[in-house]
Amino acid sequence: MVITKDGFTELVGRLLEDYQVIAPVERNGQVLFSLVSNPHEVCMEYKGTTLLPPKRFFFPEKEILFTYEMLDGDVKIYDKYEEVKGIRRVIVGMRPCDIQSLNVLDKVFIGEYHDPYYAARREGTVIIGLTCNEPDDYCFCVFTGSGPTVSEGYDLLLTDLGEAYLVEIGSERGERIVKLNLDLFRKATDADVQERDRILKRAESKMREQKLPDLTKMYEPLVELFYADLWREYGRRCVACGKCNFTCPTCRCFNVYDDPNLDLKSGKRVRVWDSCHFLSFTRVASGEIFRKERHSRVKQRIYHKYCYSIDEIGMISCVGCGRCVKVCSAGIDIREVAVEVMKAWRE
Amino acid sequence: MEGVRKNPYIPELAEIVEIRDEAPNIKTFRIRFRDRALQESFRFTPGQFVELTVFGYGEAPFSISSSPLERDFFELTIRKMGTVTRALFRLGPGGVVGVRGPFGRGWPIEKMKGENVLIIGGGIGIAPLRPLVEYIIANRNDFGDVILLYGARTPKDIVYKKELERWKEHIDVRLTVDIGDKTWRGRTGVVTVLLDDVDVNPKETYSVQCGPPIMIHFVVKKLVEMGFPDDRILFSLERLMKCGMGFCGHCMIGGKFVCKDGPVFDYSEVKTLLEPAV
Repeated sequence: MVITKDGFTELVGRLLEDYQVIAPVERNGQVLFSLVSNPHEVCMEYKGTTLLPPKRFFFPEKEILFTYEMLDGDVKIYDKYEEVKGIRRVIVGMRPCDIQSLNVLDKVFIGEYHDPYYAARREGTVIIGLTCNEPDDYCFCVFTGSGPTVSEGYDLLLTDLGEAYLVEIGSERGERIVKLNLDLFRKATDADVQERDRILKRAESKMREQKLPDLTKMYEPLVELFYADLWREYGRRCVACGKCNFTCPTCRCFNVYDDPNLDLKSGKRVRVWDSCHFLSFTRVASGEIFRKERHSRVKQRIYHKYCYSIDEIGMISCVGCGRCVKVCSAGIDIREVAVEVMKAWRE
Repeated sequence: MEGVRKNPYIPELAEIVEIRDEAPNIKTFRIRFRDRALQESFRFTPGQFVELTVFGYGEAPFSISSSPLERDFFELTIRKMGTVTRALFRLGPGGVVGVRGPFGRGWPIEKMKGENVLIIGGGIGIAPLRPLVEYIIANRNDFGDVILLYGARTPKDIVYKKELERWKEHIDVRLTVDIGDKTWRGRTGVVTVLLDDVDVNPKETYSVQCGPPIMIHFVVKKLVEMGFPDDRILFSLERLMKCGMGFCGHCMIGGKFVCKDGPVFDYSEVKTLLEPAV
């Protein structure tokens, strides 16, 4: 299907009647995801990725799991899941890399164990994706197999054809939205489809110029290079600030703590994003720290992305968005790490 | 069944029914779920752990230390160490706590049947071994020779003094302390010294251990020297386990999660992990 850009604005307006709508908006020169109330706020023409991924709308940086209240030797627990279940939202303008990050998080949070908070937000959120027609200098999703388009995880997927969007339907829920607003859509022609392919091809070629290795096939090299010297150098450079983790669309590690109210009789259990780069990350009550050296913590992120995730969920957990590269205070570039690993491996 | 699935982050309320002093800063808490039906249906494998909540202070993982055959309660033997345990030690009988679990993979009891068992504990590390010992004693004919080697820092620090006396009637119990005192007539030295006198066929014996990381490191070395095959060297590992479900990431070693793939591992499993585990 095809929808004009005006038609899309109209569609967002109609969706706002039934759903909360989250979309990329421009704020102080940055594009980021936010709740919107007006379809004209939506900024679908951003280059590359938003500074922060939309992960927080599925897995917030800080979340109350439950509150408790102690009364005369009894404790009452109020489950905050009650407030997220039945959530109904639409998120528009989500890039394939960020959609792929949900496919990763789905495998983590909706697997052997079921995280009800994540699952409720995921199941209750319609995803209207937007393929990447203009990657920025940090994008490398073609090397992680997660862009410039994506094959699952969305309800609708748009490609910017200039005056209009080509629309791919990825689920029954997406199909229903199209059917309910059929007046805004027309059938796609062969020319539309060819134009989409041309645009995606162009984006892909631009990224290919970086000549990175296939990042889905780093498992063996990383296994062999676990004790290689190159990690010590990255350990010396890393400042252990955790920004790479906090801007990563797939990082999911968290801490859990109790936050009592001033009456000390009630309070909340909170979970908050954590970083494997922090010294405290592996500290147990006896004081023992299992990743004391910084290079071991640098390695943990890289190995989790390209190696451990394959054991854990059957796929890598880097989606090639480049945000960690963009924000790193020490200028550590995961692309360079990958190139260096492959070079050391071949030697 | 979507609607009735339980939220795995919500603890079940339970009550402390009895507290016993074991050693300085170590107590055993007997706990019973408020919900009777839940208490009666609560089952665990020796070696599994629960997440214990002291409301207002948070949650921490503890191995269950009572017999798996006990239906009326379960016990946790705890050393006062951090925020949660300090708060727990201030609670008395009747205190309300929260419990999630049991979590993880315990000792592979079925595999151990018909075999000799060499149990090695250090300090508070004897806690996850107690349910195993109790199970073995209750099913004594299912196992061959059973030896328990236990090391503590000083005679005062020996946990389960009464139990050890009872266990001696059923299994071979040998103790050592790092530093003796006037009353101590037994061995001194770290627990590995007891291994020198152990005479078992490593091919027909499972070794099972829990203790501080440094103890596990040296005991594994020694067991390998003694000829124990890697898959007969079992241990329970300590890591920070916040969620118990493989989500929070703190307890990862290589690609494994101590909370759900362990805490019990055999040496052949951890040898394949990239990060050193023991």
